[in-house]
Amino acid sequence: MSLVGPSGSGKSSLLRAVIGLQQPLSGTVETLARAQVGILFQDDALLPWKTARDNVALGLTFNGMERKKALAEAEAWLERLDLAGFGDRFPRHLSGGQRKRVALAQVLAMKPKLILMDEPFASLDAIVRARVVKDVVALVDRERITVLLVTHDLEEALSLSDEIYLLSQGPRAHITQHYLVPIPRPRDPVHSRTHPAFAPLYERLWADLSREVDHRAEAP
Amino acid sequence: MLLHPRYAWIRQLAAFAVLLAVWEAAGRADMLNPLYLPNPSRIGAALVELFSDGHIWPHLDATFTAALGGLALGIAVGVLLGVVAALVRFIAELLEPVMTLLNAIPRVILAPLFVIWLGIGLASKVALSFILVAVLIFFTVFTGIRQVDRRLAERVITLGGDRWSLVRHVYLPSVAAWVLSNLKIAVGFAFTGACVGEFVAASRGLGYLLSFAQSTYNAALMFALILLILVVVLLIFAIAGRLEKYLLRWS
Repeated sequence: MSLVGPSGSGKSSLLRAVIGLQQPLSGTVETLARAQVGILFQDDALLPWKTARDNVALGLTFNGMERKKALAEAEAWLERLDLAGFGDRFPRHLSGGQRKRVALAQVLAMKPKLILMDEPFASLDAIVRARVVKDVVALVDRERITVLLVTHDLEEALSLSDEIYLLSQGPRAHITQHYLVPIPRPRDPVHSRTHPAFAPLYERLWADLSREVDHRAEAP
Repeated sequence: MLLHPRYAWIRQLAAFAVLLAVWEAAGRADMLNPLYLPNPSRIGAALVELFSDGHIWPHLDATFTAALGGLALGIAVGVLLGVVAALVRFIAELLEPVMTLLNAIPRVILAPLFVIWLGIGLASKVALSFILVAVLIFFTVFTGIRQVDRRLAERVITLGGDRWSLVRHVYLPSVAAWVLSNLKIAVGFAFTGACVGEFVAASRGLGYLLSFAQSTYNAALMFALILLILVVVLLIFAIAGRLEKYLLRWS
């Protein structure tokens, strides 16, 4: 499920409210237990003084897992994300894509039911991004995890999600449109762009989003 | 090949040797007054004498004890006050002006006061070392904690960490990093405190020996002591540098 909208429409605030980093101004957030929700930010925010393995194990130990077991579990997740042998490296000695994978392993190791993603791939260059995205889709499909993705990138929203919500221009932003993406799963995020439903939906999304942005320009 | 940047140390060493040779030659040709500028060979002999008759050891011991004691106490108290001030606004309001004042003045002017309060023994030197180091570390930690990366804290919270996890995994490592990156300066301060304290009033220590050399117009001894202090501090710098490099290997 994706959330798109102009800058300042409160997409990030919404995610922060869901994970409990921010109190909503009004209303309540109903969500799963904290341990079942993971979040992935645009920056990796790995602890720089901990190795990749220690970073991944961090959440597990917070939730009561014995350290030794947590480290073994972390190593298994690193391997699943193509990072076998990088467990002893510090974040500074990893590439942007590798750091992103470590951050992913950190979240996935918690076995969440829901992962919130706030522009998680924006900082990666195109090739690395395509690869990371592909792995994310595969893992998320396999583990049957719901993802709430905030993105500026309409193609990303379309190729990754089943549902897309469009937020209006803030302040007082609200959901204005809801789209269903009829591309079947399991998906390959690169090739889903060639699905016949992709282009028309993209056009619609683009038009609706442009209208929201123009709305702002016309407002006094 | 000898002009290659990698061999800079050879050229530096050679230049130093030339300087010593010229100095020695000038001294032997009676061009220098040995009262002010004794020959390098005389200085070397004075240094050897300090060690060969063994009477340097209690002095080295005194200075080291004072400097390292002040360093340890200064770091401990500086970190503690810095953390508390960063977390409790009320404490910060009280501490910050005092620390700013202490930071602004040359703290060695407190040496005579410490002698009156604590006597001419070890305590007054530890106190001077301590005050030099503590103020430095206080500001390092105090300003550092307020700049802790908010995103790291959020990461730990969203992974299910509690307040203690935040302190242990985010704040303490950050504090340790700042303290370590100031460790060399702190070591320098600690030895300054110890030596100045001994210089003012003491019965032992390298600073005391210096003051003794001064009052007896023993320039050779003075140079030997300066050299010795230099070597000692460089040695500790090297150890601190190693420690810093190992503990901050992630950065």
